Amino acid sequence: MKRNHILLLTYAVLIVLMGIFSIYSSTYQKEGLFWQSVYQRQIIWAMAGLALFFMLSFSNYRDLWDWTYFLYAAAVFFLLLVAIIGATRLGAQRWLRFAWFNFQPSEFAKLIVVIFLSRYFSKKEAANTAWLPAGSGLAGRVILPFIFVAIPALFIIEQPDLGSGMMIFLFFIAMLFLTNVKLKYIFSFLIVAALPVPFLWHILRDYQKERLMVFLNPNIDPLGAGYTVIQSKIAIGSGGILGKGWLAGTQSQLHFLPESHTDFIFATFIEQWGFAGGLVLLFLYYQLIRQGFIIAANTNDYFGKSLAFGISVMLGIQVFINIAMNMGLAPVVGLPLPLMSYGGSSMVVTFISLGILVSIDRRRAV
Amino acid sequence: MIRIRIVNYIIAAMFLFLGLWLFNFNVLQGRELRAQSDKNCVRLLSQWGARGAIYDRAGNLLAGNSLSYDVMVMPQGQGSRNQALTAVANVLKKDQAKLNKAYRNNFIGPSLPVLIASGITREQAIALEELKNDIPSIIVQSRPVRSYPYGSLACHLTGYLSQIDRWRLTKLEDYGYKTKDVVGFGGIEEKYDYYLRQDEGGLSFEVDHKGRFVRVLGFKPPTNGKDVQLTLDLKVQKIVEANLADKKGAVVVMDPSTGEILAMASFPKFEPGLFNGNADSTVAGLVNNPDALLVNRAISFAYPPGSVFKAVVAAAALETGKIDLSTEYVCQGVVFIGKQKFECSGVHGPQNLTQALAHSCNIFFYKSGLLLGGQNMHDWAVKFGFSRPDEIDLPYEISGFIPSPRWRKVNKFKNWFNGDTANMSIGQGDCLTTPLQVTRMMAVFANRGYLVKPYVAQAIDGGEIFAYQKKIISLGLKESTLNQVREGLRDAVSTPKGTANSLSELPVAVAGKTGTAQAPPGRSHGWFCGFFPFDEPKYVICVFLERGGSGAAAVAVTKQIIAAMCAEGAA
Repeated sequence: MKRNHILLLTYAVLIVLMGIFSIYSSTYQKEGLFWQSVYQRQIIWAMAGLALFFMLSFSNYRDLWDWTYFLYAAAVFFLLLVAIIGATRLGAQRWLRFAWFNFQPSEFAKLIVVIFLSRYFSKKEAANTAWLPAGSGLAGRVILPFIFVAIPALFIIEQPDLGSGMMIFLFFIAMLFLTNVKLKYIFSFLIVAALPVPFLWHILRDYQKERLMVFLNPNIDPLGAGYTVIQSKIAIGSGGILGKGWLAGTQSQLHFLPESHTDFIFATFIEQWGFAGGLVLLFLYYQLIRQGFIIAANTNDYFGKSLAFGISVMLGIQVFINIAMNMGLAPVVGLPLPLMSYGGSSMVVTFISLGILVSIDRRRAV
Repeated sequence: MIRIRIVNYIIAAMFLFLGLWLFNFNVLQGRELRAQSDKNCVRLLSQWGARGAIYDRAGNLLAGNSLSYDVMVMPQGQGSRNQALTAVANVLKKDQAKLNKAYRNNFIGPSLPVLIASGITREQAIALEELKNDIPSIIVQSRPVRSYPYGSLACHLTGYLSQIDRWRLTKLEDYGYKTKDVVGFGGIEEKYDYYLRQDEGGLSFEVDHKGRFVRVLGFKPPTNGKDVQLTLDLKVQKIVEANLADKKGAVVVMDPSTGEILAMASFPKFEPGLFNGNADSTVAGLVNNPDALLVNRAISFAYPPGSVFKAVVAAAALETGKIDLSTEYVCQGVVFIGKQKFECSGVHGPQNLTQALAHSCNIFFYKSGLLLGGQNMHDWAVKFGFSRPDEIDLPYEISGFIPSPRWRKVNKFKNWFNGDTANMSIGQGDCLTTPLQVTRMMAVFANRGYLVKPYVAQAIDGGEIFAYQKKIISLGLKESTLNQVREGLRDAVSTPKGTANSLSELPVAVAGKTGTAQAPPGRSHGWFCGFFPFDEPKYVICVFLERGGSGAAAVAVTKQIIAAMCAEGAA
C-alpha cells in the first residue's frame, strides 16, 4: 500500500475508534443486555467494514462498471421490498430484518447511485475514457439520468427518510457539475427542481413538518420534537473548550440526549472532548474527504475519476448535514455520521466506499 | 480538474463553517450551556407548608389542616417508569393505565417529580415507602390538606379551596400564583388568600442517570400561611344554623356598635371538604346545583326588603319634617293613588308613626312616602347603606338596588309616578337589598344613629386588624327621630297587635321589624330584622327566608334562635 492509502485508512480507523469510545460512553450506564453490547456490535461492524475495505482495495474497481446495472436493479429491488414490508406492517421502516442484523438498503443505494452516475457519464470504451460528449443535450445529460436517480430517491423519501433522499439529489447535482454539463443546464434543472418545493410541504408527514418547524424555532415544542435539538445544543456547548472528559458527559449518559449513540453521536463526542476534540474530528473528516478529491484529480480514467469524486462528495455532505443537525443548523433528518454513528449498514458502506477509493488510486491509469 | 477543486473548496468551506459554529457553541456560549447542562441533573422536590387556619373569636378552629399523602414518580426512561407505575398500581389497587394517564397529564418538566396519585391512605403510604429501596424513583410525600372540624358550619363564610381557574390565574399571576395552585374560592379563603396562603418550599438535589439520589444541593423550608381569626361566635353560628335548618335563606347576627359579624349563615349550604378530593363529578354537582349552594345569600343575592324598609322611610320622613309624632292617617285597608288601588294588610284605623311601625301599616307609609318623594326616599336609603356595597371583607358582595326618579329618567327614559313612590315606601317596586344591608340599617337604630361597616376578620396571625376594619359613620339623626322609630320597632314586639308580638315571650326585650316581600311568581320572602336587648343592644339579627311565605315565618325562626341564645347564655 502506498503512503496515502495508509493515511486514508488511519484517518478512518481513528474516526471509528472515536466513535466506539463515544458509543461506549453513551450506553455503558444504560440497563439491559442490548445496551451493554452496543459498542461490541459496533466493533464487529468495524471489523467487517475493514475486511471489506481490504477486499475492495485489492480488487479492480473497473469490475463495478460491469456490475452497475445489476447493482442498480438490486438497490431498487430491495427498496421496493422495504416499501412493501413497511406498508404491510403499517409503519415507517427503513431496514430489512436478516438472520441477526438489520439491513438498511438506503445506505447501499446511495453508493450505488454514485456508481451508476459515474458509469452513465463516462464513455463506454475502456481505451478511450472521457466524459460523454457535450453534444448529447439536455435530455441525455440531465433528464434521463435524473429519472434513473429519482426512482431510488423517491423510494427512500417514501420510507420515510427525507435526509438520504435529498442527499442523493445533492450529489446528483455535484456529478452534473463535475462532468462538465453546461452550467445553464444545471441552473435550469435547479430552478425546475425548486418549483414544486411549496407543494412538497403537503406531501411531508406530520412529524416531518414538525421537525422543520422546530428547526426554525426549537422552543415551540421543548418537550417534544424540539427537545432533541435543545439537549443536543446543550450537550455540545457544555463541553466547553476541553470537554468534560471521557465518561463524564452528563447530557448523553443521564438520558437527556436521545439517540446519543446514533444520529447525535457528535454531540456525545463534543460533550466529552470539547472544542479541541471537535477540531480534531473535523480535521480528520476533512482530510479523509480531501484524499478522495486528490485521488479523483489524479485519476485519468473518467469512470474512476467521477466515482472517487462522487464518494468524496457523498461523505462530505453526510458529515456536514449530520454535524449541522447536531448543532441545530439543519433540520433533524435522521442521517448517521459516517464511521461514528452506531449502525452496521452505514459503517460497511463507508468502508466499501473507501476501499473503492484505494482501488481507484492503485490503478489510476487503468 | 478545476471543477473537482471547486467542489473540494466548497466542502472545505462547509467544514470551516462547522468549526466556527463549534467555536460559537463551546467557547462563546460554553458557560451558559454548561449551566443548563448542570441544571439537567438537578431535581426539584417541592414541599408544602400548611395553609393558615381560620378560627372563630374564641379560638375555635373552623378550618385547619390534616395530612394527606401523595405519590410522585421521578421522570425517567420508559422502562423504569413502567416498573414504578406497575408497583404503585399494585399497592393502590388502581388501574395502571389511569396512573399512566395521570403521569402524562401532570408532567411538568424533566427535573420535576410527577404527581400520579393523591390522597392515599397512611397504610398505602407506608407500603409505598418500603418499595423505595427497589424503585428509587417513587416518592411519597405528605401534604397538608384543608380539614373542617365542624363540617359545613359557616361554609359560606370560610369558603372552600380548589385548583386555581383561568380567570383567577390571569388576575393573580403577577402575585406569584401558578397554574395548579390551590386557592381560596369564596369567603375568607378567597378574601384573605394572600395571608392564608402557604409558601412552597423545596429541596433541590443531584441525581445520577438512574434518577437515584446523590446529594442535596439546596433546601428552602416551606412557610406556613398566616392564621386568620374571625369575629364569628361559634356558639351563635351553631344556634343560627341549627334553627335555619333546611329552610332556604340567610341569617346575619352582628354587633351593632362595632359591625363585628357574630354569625352569618346561608342555606342551603355545602360541604367544603368535598372540594379536597379529586372527584370532579362531585365538584361539578356542587357548582351546578340549581339551588346555588355556593352562593352566600347574606351578601351575594339581593331581595326586595318589603316592610323592613319602612324603618328607613320613617326615619327619613321624621328627619325631613314631613311628619311628626302627631301625624295620623286613618287606615281603611285601601287607598287610591291616581287611579291605582293600593292595599294594606288589614284595616288599622287611625295610626300614628309608632303604631304604623308596630302594625306595619302600609297606608301610613304610602302617605308619608308621597310626602317625602321618590328621590328623597332614595337618597335616605343610600344614606342607610342601601344600593351600595357594605365593604364587608368577603368577596362577591353585591350592592343591591334602590330606584329613584332620576335614575329612571336617565337610564330608562321613563317617568316616575306616585304609584312608584308608594311601592317604594313599603320596600317593593324595584328595591333590592341584601340581608346584610338590612342588618346594617337596623344597627343604626340599635346603636342610635351610627352606620357601621360590617367585618368578619379581626386578627391575622395574632395581630389585631380591627383598627383597619372598624368604620363607624354618624348619620346625624335627631334624638327624637331615633326614639320614635325605636319605640315603633319595640311596639312591634311588645304590643299585642304588633307584627312580631310572639317575640315578647322571650326573656330578653327585642325590637324589630317584619317584612313580607312580594316577589311574584312564587311565595313571598319573609324578613325579620331586629335588635336586642332593647335598652343596650348587643345583637342585631336579620332573618331572611327566601320564599318563606311571610314575615311571621321569619319571626318564628328568630324566636327559636334568640331563645336558644338566651338558653346558652349568649344573650
